Amino acid sequence: MKNLNFVSGLFLMAIALVFGLVSFQYKIGQFSRAGPGLFPLLVSSLVFLIGVATMVRSRFIAPVPLNYNLRNIVLVLLGICGFTLLSQYINMIVGIVFLVFCSSFAGIAPYSVVRNLKISAGLIAIALAFQHLLGLNLPLY
Amino acid sequence: MEVLHNLAFGFSHALTLQNLMYCAIGCTVGTLVGLLPGLGPLSTISLLLPLTYSIPTAGSLIMLAGIYYGAQYGDSVSAITMKIPHASSIVACIDGYQMTLKGQTGLALFTAGVSSFIGGTVAIVVLSTLAPTLGEVAFLFGPADYCALMMLGFVCVSFVTTGSLLNGLAMSMVGVLLGMVGTDVNSGVQRYTMNLPFLADGIGVISIALGCFGITEVVKNLDSGSQHSPFNGKINLIPTWPEFKRIIPSALRGSVVGSLLGILPGGGPTIAQFAAYAIDKKFSKFKHEIGSGAIEGVAGQAAADEAAARTSFIPLMAIGIPENAVMALMMAAFIVKGIQPGPNMIATHPDLFWGLVASMWVGNCFLLVLNVPLVRYWLSVFKIPFSVLFPAILFFCCIGTYSINNNLEDVYITAVFGFIGYAFLRLGLEAAPLILGFILGPMLEENFRRAMLLSRGSFGTFVNRPISGTLFVLIAVFITWQLVSFFLKSRKATLPLTPATVE
Repeated sequence: MKNLNFVSGLFLMAIALVFGLVSFQYKIGQFSRAGPGLFPLLVSSLVFLIGVATMVRSRFIAPVPLNYNLRNIVLVLLGICGFTLLSQYINMIVGIVFLVFCSSFAGIAPYSVVRNLKISAGLIAIALAFQHLLGLNLPLY
Repeated sequence: MEVLHNLAFGFSHALTLQNLMYCAIGCTVGTLVGLLPGLGPLSTISLLLPLTYSIPTAGSLIMLAGIYYGAQYGDSVSAITMKIPHASSIVACIDGYQMTLKGQTGLALFTAGVSSFIGGTVAIVVLSTLAPTLGEVAFLFGPADYCALMMLGFVCVSFVTTGSLLNGLAMSMVGVLLGMVGTDVNSGVQRYTMNLPFLADGIGVISIALGCFGITEVVKNLDSGSQHSPFNGKINLIPTWPEFKRIIPSALRGSVVGSLLGILPGGGPTIAQFAAYAIDKKFSKFKHEIGSGAIEGVAGQAAADEAAARTSFIPLMAIGIPENAVMALMMAAFIVKGIQPGPNMIATHPDLFWGLVASMWVGNCFLLVLNVPLVRYWLSVFKIPFSVLFPAILFFCCIGTYSINNNLEDVYITAVFGFIGYAFLRLGLEAAPLILGFILGPMLEENFRRAMLLSRGSFGTFVNRPISGTLFVLIAVFITWQLVSFFLKSRKATLPLTPATVE
């Protein structure tokens, strides 16, 4: 299950199945009078076929190993979601501080609170500039 | 004569103090962000799009175009000085970096700057003569022809950007599917919205672009853990006369090749660079030096790059169909500003169209006058460590998504696409065709349904009409060629294996 081409074929088939099965909920109609479900059904069948072709093709070409590292992506996404939640319920300045402190755990650079405080201060200054100079409507405080 | 008159009209709009300023800001900021590792034109444009929201329409389009070719130039600078390849500057890494190793960084940067200027100038002549004519041809297009043109675009883009037709086609089709999220214009039915009110208008293209390019690129850099050592060499910009003379012929060749390839569906800077480089290798007077740091190896591709970047605006503005992912993003930006690119754009907004064309030339001058001499200061961007830079990039991704509708829920969508983009990256699926599919998806569906309605459900309409028939024949030839070459290759690969196993 570590062959990249095989897994990407599976992934494409999964996407196609999700979109294709849901499209049956909408009216399909005929070609001359297409309903909202017809075109998604056509396209997702095409994606499904491409997924099958990718899987079949992976049998004929040299396998490529699938490498992934979930740590960085999870930390970064956690930072972004936390930023959004805090901006929604408290304010964006707290959000910025959280984003910087959470996402800095990703990567290989040693963790430094002072550096993070400096980055946060810089970003808050930029956000204030956006708000006052460019007229963006940010819920900063 | 009419062209000159139109260009003069355009310059009268582009040369106002305000628009000059927007053009200069766009070029500068674009170059700076484009320099950063991992941030190519696609992510640069999507990151900087929010800067243009509060600016008047003409100014914001001029600034966006400036950001685009600024980013293009910034890419080639980081390719020449530090061999950091972006999608749009792979070729510049070959001879450009070789010249840096020989201590000719200044000459390489000067060559790239001057050739871009030549390429851009030729492209603008092509743009201003061809776009209005092509706009009139576009009125002959029926729904079936539009469908065929878009399909041809998908096939070409898939092949050019990913090198693998299967992966690229799959990604453009996934993009088409994502474009269907939201309210169906024909029937008013909400599709794939999962009853979430903020999905009723569909997913924002900026959310997808920032997720799949901004966040994913950041994580890709974090995963690889590479730190680029800043460039510290000396830069001597002024070339000698014989060196300067070597730039011209190769740049002119590159401009012509780039201008032509920029117009074709799926064309654009990447393929133009490779073509120009190959042509220089064949026809240049100094072809034996190419590959080991020759001026021609930099000049031709830089001119082609810049020329194709400009002429790829032609299909967008004349027909209304973007031909590659960057142009798809540009189209989204046009629409945010309330301008529908297409055959009517030149007639209804001549000031915007000709102003933009003229500003491209002004931007060229800015790049030459501002960027080439200042390049050594800008390289200090690389002195900022990535650990400081990446939280800032993430913050700009969030702000970029938020400020489109002032809606924080959009940021969650960006985060979701960040994850999906990461999955695509690790699965070896290129995300650029996805953006094109996403933008073209709704248009494809509308034209497909219209064509089927007109032909009463018969697929014959796609073959019988001369324009769509020709385009579909091209697609068929291309796919057959791909299949045949795949089988030939796999047969060749298995043949030497059989005797080995017999032994």
